[in-house]
Amino acid sequence: MPYREKFAWLSLTAMVVTYVPYFAIVIAGYFPTRPLPDLHQLGLFALVSIVRVLILGIGYLYLRLGSPQEARTPPDERDLAIKSRAMSSAYYVLISGMIYVGCFMPFTSAGWTIVNAALFMIVTAEVVREGVVVFCYRRQA
Amino acid sequence: MMEGTISNRIRILRFHNGEMSQAELGQRIGLTRQTVAAIEAGKYSPTLEAAFRIAQVFNVPLGEVFQWEVKGGQ
Repeated sequence: MPYREKFAWLSLTAMVVTYVPYFAIVIAGYFPTRPLPDLHQLGLFALVSIVRVLILGIGYLYLRLGSPQEARTPPDERDLAIKSRAMSSAYYVLISGMIYVGCFMPFTSAGWTIVNAALFMIVTAEVVREGVVVFCYRRQA
Repeated sequence: MMEGTISNRIRILRFHNGEMSQAELGQRIGLTRQTVAAIEAGKYSPTLEAAFRIAQVFNVPLGEVFQWEVKGGQ
């Protein structure tokens, strides 16, 4: 498996194990709606972000030490083509999400609902980006 | 638009060049082993520059490495 595919899997895993529980807690309504800044909600988000950074950091070190030569190899034309395809796919997801959050949600929602919706769109765009990377490497495109 | 597929003879050319490995070929043209494997399998079309580099490694014209096959055999 190419080094960059391993890193995409790592990033996807880190996102799933952190943001899925976070959004599950948010959707379950564990936090009652409070005016901004809601420190409970902010604290949970900070915790989730720290856990994600830790997973990414440890995973990055593990991958780098596991295959140091591959890690040092600069991306070739196919790696860059896959990255570019993934970025453009994620961009459309992000821009659609942001249009919805920024232009429509202020009429129906407020506070952390909008913040969480924006975060959800960012996370979705990231998942799409890493997902496209994994998909392209899997089908060897 | 004329439709077709690109095929290649990289596997055969590697065989005729001392069973050169995909990794070695990749190293000589600045691509990873996985990219060479993808090109060889016809899953990824390299840039023109990489295609010329491959031909140069095997010391053959570009047309001997890559072939354009028109759909329907026209």
